[in-house]
Amino acid sequence: MKARRGRFLAAAAILATLAGAAPAAAQTEVPVRVRVIKGSRQGPPSVDPKLGDLKRQLSAIAYVRWEQIQEKRFDLAQGKPAFVELPGGDDVAVTLQERRGETVTIEVALASRNTQSRLTVEKGQRIVHQVTAEKGGSAFFLTVTAWP
Amino acid sequence: MRECLHFAPMIGARAGELTAGEAKALEAHLSGCAACRGFARNVAATDGLVGEALLARANERDFAPFVDEVMARVGARPPTPAGLRPAYAQGERGWWSWLRRHRRGAIATLAPVLAALAVIVYVRLGLERGEIAMVEISSEGEATTILETRDGPVVLLSEENGS
Repeated sequence: MKARRGRFLAAAAILATLAGAAPAAAQTEVPVRVRVIKGSRQGPPSVDPKLGDLKRQLSAIAYVRWEQIQEKRFDLAQGKPAFVELPGGDDVAVTLQERRGETVTIEVALASRNTQSRLTVEKGQRIVHQVTAEKGGSAFFLTVTAWP
Repeated sequence: MRECLHFAPMIGARAGELTAGEAKALEAHLSGCAACRGFARNVAATDGLVGEALLARANERDFAPFVDEVMARVGARPPTPAGLRPAYAQGERGWWSWLRRHRRGAIATLAPVLAALAVIVYVRLGLERGEIAMVEISSEGEATTILETRDGPVVLLSEENGS
């Protein structure tokens, strides 16, 4: 009887350990919202209603017309890149480098331009990163929002 | 006479100061020179007197208060009755006493620690205000412009290469 009780307790302890580990693993992932947007110098000034939360950042850039091209949501695991395809066919890799509480370091890598940016932002902040050179008065940007 | 001038410095030499050859030559000279023998006798007598006089003067000196006098001259406190241990070692005033006695050492030790704490506090406060966004860019042949806004960083690629 004692042996059965011991085995039961050991199994319960293992299950409790695993149950505790599972949320810990989930906590290391950070949900992100990635949008590809297009900025243009020509045309009447306008901002896509979907980009309302970015107005203050976009107003700092010399483009007057903004529209959202695509949107994706990921759960970024540390060190594992998520790829976003740009309209020109290039890929942008977005990688969670580090998470400390409500602060994350995200790397935006542009393979075609051999450029890597590591940006540390807090929850509530957004990264706006130009990902293509300007052509005909327009350029594409990537925005990354952690815990959207 | 020239021999006397040669041997005069050797007269009165202590044991071991002359080589065996020098000692033998001096002995031979003294056996044949009355003047140098007389000089040697005088030196021996005087040497003994001086030695005895110095010893007597040294014995007159009382070294018992030597430590007290030295400590008084360097400005330290006189030894306590409890076995010459300093006050801080006896726990009379604890770490504050130690700090007072080692002010310079304490400042030199604590200054880097305080500086590090100041940096940590500054960074932490900055993060709490939500104004700091750290940016690290690495690129090849590509200049970038970074605009920092309250909502987050804006990274712009250069238009030089155009591509």
